[in-house]
Amino acid sequence: MALIEFNDFSFKYVGSDSLALKKVNLSVEAGEYVVVSGPSGCGKTTLCRAINGLVPQFHRGYIAGNVFVDSKSTRENSVADMAGITGLVFQNPSNQLVTLNVEKEIAFGPENLGVDPAEIRKRVEHLIHLLGLEHLREKHPHEMSGGEQQRVAMAATLALRPKILVADEPTSNLDPQSAEMILELIAEQNREGMTVVLVEHRLDVVAKDASRLILMNEGSVVADGPPEDVLLMDICQDIGIGIPKAVEVFKRLRSKDLHLPEVPMTGEDLVRIFREVVEHDSA
Amino acid sequence: MSFLEVFQYTRQDSVVHRLDPRSKLVMAIVLAMISLLFMNIVPLLILLSVLLPLIGLARSLQRWAKSMSGLSVLIVFIVIFNTLLSTVANPFSYSIALSLRLIALMSSFSLFFLTVHPDELSQALIQMGVKFEFAFAMSMAMRYVPTLGQEAYAIMDAQKARGVELDRGNILKRIRNIVPIIVPLIIVSIRRALSIAESMESRGFGACENRTYLEQLKFTRHDWALVLVSVVSFCFLVYVRFYLALPPWMSWGLPF
Ligand SMILES: Nc1ncnc2c1ncn2[C@@H]1O[C@H](COP(=O)(O)OP(=O)(O)OP(=O)(O)O)[C@@H](O)[C@H]1O
Ligand SMILES: [Mg+2]
Repeated sequence: MALIEFNDFSFKYVGSDSLALKKVNLSVEAGEYVVVSGPSGCGKTTLCRAINGLVPQFHRGYIAGNVFVDSKSTRENSVADMAGITGLVFQNPSNQLVTLNVEKEIAFGPENLGVDPAEIRKRVEHLIHLLGLEHLREKHPHEMSGGEQQRVAMAATLALRPKILVADEPTSNLDPQSAEMILELIAEQNREGMTVVLVEHRLDVVAKDASRLILMNEGSVVADGPPEDVLLMDICQDIGIGIPKAVEVFKRLRSKDLHLPEVPMTGEDLVRIFREVVEHDSA
Repeated sequence: MSFLEVFQYTRQDSVVHRLDPRSKLVMAIVLAMISLLFMNIVPLLILLSVLLPLIGLARSLQRWAKSMSGLSVLIVFIVIFNTLLSTVANPFSYSIALSLRLIALMSSFSLFFLTVHPDELSQALIQMGVKFEFAFAMSMAMRYVPTLGQEAYAIMDAQKARGVELDRGNILKRIRNIVPIIVPLIIVSIRRALSIAESMESRGFGACENRTYLEQLKFTRHDWALVLVSVVSFCFLVYVRFYLALPPWMSWGLPF
């Protein structure tokens, strides 16, 4: 069984009259880097909640089908049971910081799970170093910038040593520079072997790292595959997904019957591919 | 309200800061009770001459002095009104003693609050048997009060921009003007609370019976010594106060 398995999973929130997720089928293998995108209200957040059990354990409602994460059904396990498997980073950084300093924040999760204090100390020091939080150690969350808060929130999530890192628009409240830093941290985690599910609008920044792109619309998965395939589909225009400039260029060239050998994700990709083509032709 | 600063934690590296909050609590309560035992100028001055070096040890004399100068208006009031209205024998002397007692009381508690981080306080409560959830709620209040304040200001600005006049009209009108601030504030807060709960839940809040703590407070020899000194001096002073007469120089007062 794959690490994350959605089997015909549907969900409707109490008090809502339409399904937030409609018959979603999805399987994600360990080590994948999945980017999820789609218009507002299409169910991305609900999908994230379903992966760590907040749906249906915290948010109640109508459920059909099943979600298995690490072979555990989210119907039968509490959110706390899933906490060591799926780490969730949310959109609003300040609502994720519940203690008065960085060390306590990072320790909060492992403390809740009853991890040995010496081991918690090790994790805290490691993550403070890894995410460059030394200068924030003694600061009240209120005195940190959004980007700093989000980095702390990320450290607090990683402290649980999850197998899957799920991040729901972690950069949408941040300035571009902090956003890039967070996305780089996530990519780095994936290179180290973490399975990542990232909800993100700015495909121009994340498509190059992702191994898979999922598009959602009105509660359904409408496209699922490698970014270079999905970004060429017409569905992107239909649901208003902004595709990277480099892919745009690729498509324009293609419509003029100029076929590049691969789909570029970034400007650098494009230059590299051009150079290869030119050098190949002149050789 | 600047005199309240003396109850606000300040980060310092001092002997007093390093003590266990529990032993400091014992000390603060003992000091406060001692200041309530006496109503004469001399013993209260002696008490202050113990308190000030302690605050000095906590490297907070400056803050203390600032708060006390903020308090001086209030003290002048107390002295004037008491002198004029009181029916005791030497009203001025009495009012001075009363003010000294107020200062001693505040200083005793400030010694605790100046040097105990809210986190230490909640950890102390937990180790004294208070349920984690309860102690944690207290430290979360500390965490989100500034955030809530910021939100309230943002809402006030937004409503002003839409033409709500917050500080106009009579009392009734002003009270009614609060509604467009309070209602959105409550809605925003409930939403925020839900999202905080989601985040805490995802990190296993309340999951495990045997929650561990990164740092446990430890009672050191210094703490035991402090508790011992506090309790012994308290017993001694109670004995002196109730079973021995104060020597005359101690009960000295101003002649008016
Ligand atoms: N707590 C809730 N209670 C009721 N309905 C909800 C709740 N959360 C989301 N919904 C509804 O479920 C649907 C999917 O919402 P969801 O938040 O998953 O979308 P999203 O793709 O994350 O949107 P966005 O891009 O705006 O974050 C929406 O129609 C939304 O109104
Ligand atoms: Mg969302």
